Amino acid sequence: MKKSASVTLGSMLALSLVVSGCGNGSKNGESASPSAGASESASPAKGQVEVTLAGWGSSPDEQQLLQQVLDEFQTKNPDVKVKYEVIADQYMDVIKTRLIGNEAPDLFYLDAFEAPALIEKDVLEPLDGYVTPEFDLGDFEAPTVNAFKSADGKIYGFPKDTSTLALFYNKKMFADAGIEPPTTWDELLTASEKLTKKNGNKVEVYGLGQAPELARQMFMIQAFGGQLTDDQGMAAFATPEAEKGLSLVIDQHTKAKTAGQPSDVGAGWGGEMFGQQKAAMVIEGNWAIPYIQSNFPDVDFGTVEVPTVNDKKGTMAFTVAYVMNKNSKQKEAAWKLLSYLTGKEGMKTWTSKGFALPTRKSVAAELGFDKDPLRGALVAGSSYATSWQAGAALPTIMNNFNNQFVAAYTGGSSLTDAMKKAQETANKEIKAGQ
Amino acid sequence: MAKTFTKSKLRDMASGYTFMSPVIIILGCFLLLPIAYAIFLSFHKVNLLGTVSYKFTGTANFERMLDDPRLWIALRNTAKYALIVVPSQTILALLLASILNMKLRYRNFFRIAFYLPTVTSSAVLVLIFMWIYNSNGLLNYLLELVGLPTYNWLGDPSVALLGIMIMNVWSTAPLFMVIYLAALQDIPENLYEAADIDGANAWHKFWRITVPQLKPVTFYVIVMGIIGTFQLFDQSYIFSAGSGGPNNATLTMVLLIYQYAFKNLDMGYASALAFLLAVVIMLITVVQRLIFREERLN
Repeated sequence: MKKSASVTLGSMLALSLVVSGCGNGSKNGESASPSAGASESASPAKGQVEVTLAGWGSSPDEQQLLQQVLDEFQTKNPDVKVKYEVIADQYMDVIKTRLIGNEAPDLFYLDAFEAPALIEKDVLEPLDGYVTPEFDLGDFEAPTVNAFKSADGKIYGFPKDTSTLALFYNKKMFADAGIEPPTTWDELLTASEKLTKKNGNKVEVYGLGQAPELARQMFMIQAFGGQLTDDQGMAAFATPEAEKGLSLVIDQHTKAKTAGQPSDVGAGWGGEMFGQQKAAMVIEGNWAIPYIQSNFPDVDFGTVEVPTVNDKKGTMAFTVAYVMNKNSKQKEAAWKLLSYLTGKEGMKTWTSKGFALPTRKSVAAELGFDKDPLRGALVAGSSYATSWQAGAALPTIMNNFNNQFVAAYTGGSSLTDAMKKAQETANKEIKAGQ
Repeated sequence: MAKTFTKSKLRDMASGYTFMSPVIIILGCFLLLPIAYAIFLSFHKVNLLGTVSYKFTGTANFERMLDDPRLWIALRNTAKYALIVVPSQTILALLLASILNMKLRYRNFFRIAFYLPTVTSSAVLVLIFMWIYNSNGLLNYLLELVGLPTYNWLGDPSVALLGIMIMNVWSTAPLFMVIYLAALQDIPENLYEAADIDGANAWHKFWRITVPQLKPVTFYVIVMGIIGTFQLFDQSYIFSAGSGGPNNATLTMVLLIYQYAFKNLDMGYASALAFLLAVVIMLITVVQRLIFREERLN
């Protein structure tokens, strides 16, 4: 009996370890084998160098546009064969795991917010040595390149595009209510009041659709002089100044009840909520324009700059770059591709449809999105936008902030308590991980 | 004589191990080595990305647990989850099995229909349930019909875990139902006949004969149920897109281990947490054995 007990226990230990290990392993293995949607499986012909390029999935239209850029590149460079892979889910987890296993692609997308951590780990190739005068480094908008610079000034990636946030508003609802798009946050609150439609206790249309997460609210922290992190990169957002901005978001949901998050009305994200006409306004980015136009063609909408908070303009900027794997075996060919994709020609094609904004001044001037009725507000935002980036520990800070912010947003705790808890937990975790 | 004995014994051993070698190698590579490696990792600070380094830190990873608020949230969530799910699914499984064991019409149809949820892939199940839990979804519609309050099941921290519980009870109970059903058919009919003669009613028969006779199976069902609930990962992972949100409401032990291992790339601490999980499960199993054995002595 005793023996069988220990055998049972032993096998249970083994089982539990293995099953928990497997859960992780297989999940990771699953996503690590890239679901190559648009990849070309044919092996490279003789004399060709194969360069792998990985990115996250996007709409079919965007995928097609990227394929077009890649095709153009291959026509001009018959010696390079591009293998394009789409990583469908948990992009950064997959990329990091593949970097560890030395199976990472030669080139891949990198969001500015994850860049400091990867640069610190020394797994990216510094690109300064490759830059030629024709590449015209000065042509890039400075903040978009600076987001991919290390502390000692080396450049590790070139921005492929950028997006800012603007206020999307439903023209018909505004006409029915007889109001104009708001320019200040006070006006936005009054407008939301008028636009919210209730049926009994149930809100059918929210004045404003909100996204209670750090990526969208970081500029609200700064609106009254607060900051997300201190000089050491530790969380430092539990201050009265930061809370003043954030409470504008919370109070409109919990007290005024004129704003809601997408899941309150059964939508997946702001663009969907707006398209289904369950919110009269949302603060969204470039990506929402083609989405609403193709999925909800009946919705007549306009965009204006995000209303001023505390008399200051503010919005977020999301920049994505192409970076090169330090262990790549095809660095020369990879640079050829990278410099084409972020060069004037490639970027012009890639941003021509306005899914994202170009990061080169010359391309921006040529495409003229600043005069586009829908994209003008987004372009205007880039001059004062807060970059979605704050040191290597941002992913940890973001996770803790989002969790606690939702608690305050759903009325589970006060904003002050939530922010204090989020900051403490984040800093503890950062310190323990160092 | 002794020599030949040794020789034949050696030959026996050699052939025995040769036959077993595939299993030994596979188990060794994929079971014992990973366990040993995980224990090794849990005493180190590991850096895998960039310059690979292992730094021995003694029990630092275990000390860190004491001061990790998210670990306690995860443990509490997991315990709460197990406390509600295991009894519910066990009772539901027993009830379903008892019903299916009666002489019903279309019994086979019901057996198949009840078993179907278990066959469905859990990822697919979660996605379907996320539609049901949608604010405008089926569940809220039904709640509204009967005049009950509706919830934002996916976004409200106070009900998010409950959503996963309901889903899991519904999908795991049939698996244990089948086990109970097999055990029910093993209970000798003459026990019930004797009870009939003694004038027992249906409830007495169920409570005094069926339940005690099923005790070994119940032990198995509860142990497997607890191990399964403590290893909850895929449902909460898909439900919260890997974050354990809203407000850490769906953060489970294994999800926390995943986050530390693959998001923070802190393999040392993640291994230590996995070790803790194994110890917790073992302890619970030991306690259960004690409880069940005590009753047997009585």
